[in-house]
Amino acid sequence: MPDVQALVNEFLFKLKNGEILKIEGSHATARQTAILLRSVISQQRIPHTHQAAALIDAVKAVGEQLVAANPVELAVGNIVRRVLHIIREEDLSLTTVAMAGLNVSPVSDDEGETDQDDHPVLSAAAVAAASRNTLRPPSLQTLLEDLPDSTAIPHTSSSGGDSDGKSKSADKSTRSRKLKHDVIEALNELIGDIDTCHEQIAEQAVEHIHQNEVILTLGSSRTVLEFLCAAKEKKRSFRVFIAEGAPRYQGHLLAKELVARGLQTTLITDSAVFAMISRVNMVIVGAHAVMANGGVIAPVGLNMVALAAQRHAVPFVVLAGSHKLCPLYPHNPEVLLNELRSPSELLDFGEFSDCMDFGSGTGSPLLHVVNPTFDYVPPKLVSLFITDTGGHNPSYVYRLIADYYSNDDLVLQRKPAPTN
Amino acid sequence: MWRRSASFILDNRNAAPPQPPAAAKPDTLTLSSAPPPTAAMADALQNPNPNISAYYQTRAAHHGVVTSDWLAQAQAAVGPRSVEGGDGSSSAADSGGVGGGGGGGVGRPFSVIDEFNNWRKQPDLAEAVAAIRALAAVIRNSEATTMMELEIELKKASDSLKAWDTTSISLTAGCDLFMRYVTRTSALEYEEFNSAKSRLIERAEKFGEISQKARRIIAMLSQDFIFDGCTILVHGFSRVVLEVLKTAVQNKKVFRVFCTEGRPDRSGLRLANELAKLDVPVKILIDSAVAYTMDEVDMVLVGADGVVESGGIINLMGTYQIALVAHSMNKPVYVAAESYKFARLYPLDQKDMAPALRPIDFGVPIPSKVEVETSARDYTPPQYLTLLFTDLGVLTPSVVSDELIQLYL
Repeated sequence: MPDVQALVNEFLFKLKNGEILKIEGSHATARQTAILLRSVISQQRIPHTHQAAALIDAVKAVGEQLVAANPVELAVGNIVRRVLHIIREEDLSLTTVAMAGLNVSPVSDDEGETDQDDHPVLSAAAVAAASRNTLRPPSLQTLLEDLPDSTAIPHTSSSGGDSDGKSKSADKSTRSRKLKHDVIEALNELIGDIDTCHEQIAEQAVEHIHQNEVILTLGSSRTVLEFLCAAKEKKRSFRVFIAEGAPRYQGHLLAKELVARGLQTTLITDSAVFAMISRVNMVIVGAHAVMANGGVIAPVGLNMVALAAQRHAVPFVVLAGSHKLCPLYPHNPEVLLNELRSPSELLDFGEFSDCMDFGSGTGSPLLHVVNPTFDYVPPKLVSLFITDTGGHNPSYVYRLIADYYSNDDLVLQRKPAPTN
Repeated sequence: MWRRSASFILDNRNAAPPQPPAAAKPDTLTLSSAPPPTAAMADALQNPNPNISAYYQTRAAHHGVVTSDWLAQAQAAVGPRSVEGGDGSSSAADSGGVGGGGGGGVGRPFSVIDEFNNWRKQPDLAEAVAAIRALAAVIRNSEATTMMELEIELKKASDSLKAWDTTSISLTAGCDLFMRYVTRTSALEYEEFNSAKSRLIERAEKFGEISQKARRIIAMLSQDFIFDGCTILVHGFSRVVLEVLKTAVQNKKVFRVFCTEGRPDRSGLRLANELAKLDVPVKILIDSAVAYTMDEVDMVLVGADGVVESGGIINLMGTYQIALVAHSMNKPVYVAAESYKFARLYPLDQKDMAPALRPIDFGVPIPSKVEVETSARDYTPPQYLTLLFTDLGVLTPSVVSDELIQLYL
């Protein structure tokens, strides 16, 4: 579809450029990815059989490109995988409803997951519950029920069609429209969730910030700003220490905002964090991404703050919208999930041109400048995650991931068509 | 609780008279006085050496370095019934229970224990799979005509298997899994009996494939955690760990392995042999050298005999020690375990499990007054483990109890 392709290309360009990251952050990226995928789905023509598979394929195709454009921006991959999970869920609930009256062989699902559904009549609630369960990781039944390796989604639609030939065509065409419709509805919900994540997190501020507390934060995060302001509005009086967050000094901007809202603020350098941490009651920070083991990819300097907080037994609270939750494990996050920015943020080229001259005779200069964007904070240093669904322990992250993502979507590369 | 108080003197005096010779007298090293059973009743077969963990004996047989006198003792224990050259002779895979039940015992009634032992001799087969195959043979030989009768027979067989070796976790887990599958699968109630029976047999046979498949899935999941130039410390011999390392070699990763010796069965030496065949740089450490070399190590990778509800693991003696050292030096500890090793156990400390004893040959006679700690396994609590690689996915220890509930649902 040329129309959609143009949109995709434009978004790809923005991602590669890095402009979105620098200017708008992962929230905007997530939102735009969701909107883009919604247009892809609504414009996708799907065949009458194997509809979910076709949709999944289309989304994966676009998703692959998006992720490849900027692998460090994890929110893109997260949203792609959320959409894929939504497609699978909607398809499953449609087919279980369809199966309900037909009293046929078990509903097969993605490889490795199945549920023996022998009850001839299913109430709607049971169907919803069943659909929740079948998309969970395999259980005892699945260990002992051997399953074909190929994706069973086409299997599902075809077995549904085979059993009741009479109403086949009519059934299928209504189903095809319904699947797309359901998916787009769910996607709209997702976009709504992304939009309101800041408000939902900020609602919980009152439970965590108490009277006369001292909060420490580093750099600037919109989520943290709204969180603190929400507590202020509920008439809690507290003080905020802001570490400036070199080399970008975004802490200065946050300080200005907070003072404008009437909060008592103290600005400190990053190096002073360890000295001041003993006077702090709680550390509240934002995150770039939350990984599957509960580890956090956060702006540089936060690992140090987390270590200081652990040393002085100060709770380290991370605020993250659910679009930042990534189902992947961080294998080597300091290298693979990091971005090195320009040395000009640290040094003035004018003064240092002789040290950093790559063109001079001997080739490599003696002065190297490393300017990483992100830090990895291991899960044992985090006390609490506050997401739009509530407060969670780092060890609970796996449940959120199981709710939002399917195992099959972890690898976005499309497999070659399975032989039946 | 009284066991752990300082009054071990009193305990010894109380415990000494009825104690059977095998457990407390390592210098003699002869096995229990119970005579090898001759005409065995199907369900009354006794484990010839209840004080010695058959599970760990088998592991030693498969993976350890076999000394000649150990072999002589093993022959003496198993008795004339043993099928000579048992390794791999169960190629008569589908020939049914009676034929494979014992080479010399023609006309003996079918015994699930025999069947199980037969399957267990295959070095590549996991215990749980052997148990399920044995139970499948029970079904095949059963003369029941209804599902209830069949279930009762299976329950009896499963109980006798479990009682035969109380120390093997995967055996118990495998039996439990199969029993729950049989009793819980409502599909079987609707089907006609003979087709249900054949379906059960077919599923049980296929379970063997699951074991292989599980290992491959685990190997695939763990690949990303092995990076070029890393140093991996392994303990004992685990087939899953070997599979992981083999796959890494196939993916052209460059790494080296430190192998602990794994006393007393020295299974680490066997693993070192296998790795050397794959051209992986291997270094063997004595068990005490782990802390000495831990700073060079990037990660610890172990298998598990069982994964318990808390998320901790039960593994060869020495694993807890290694995990403690790794934790204190901030090195990740990874566990590779298949899902059928998940057990409904919750040990609160090291002694909270059924004891699994294994005789240790020190090479010199030990005076009889001196006790020897012969336990073959220990429990590693979940806070020392970083991640578990299972065929259900990569899990943090806190996920295990959730998955367990799902599994036994």
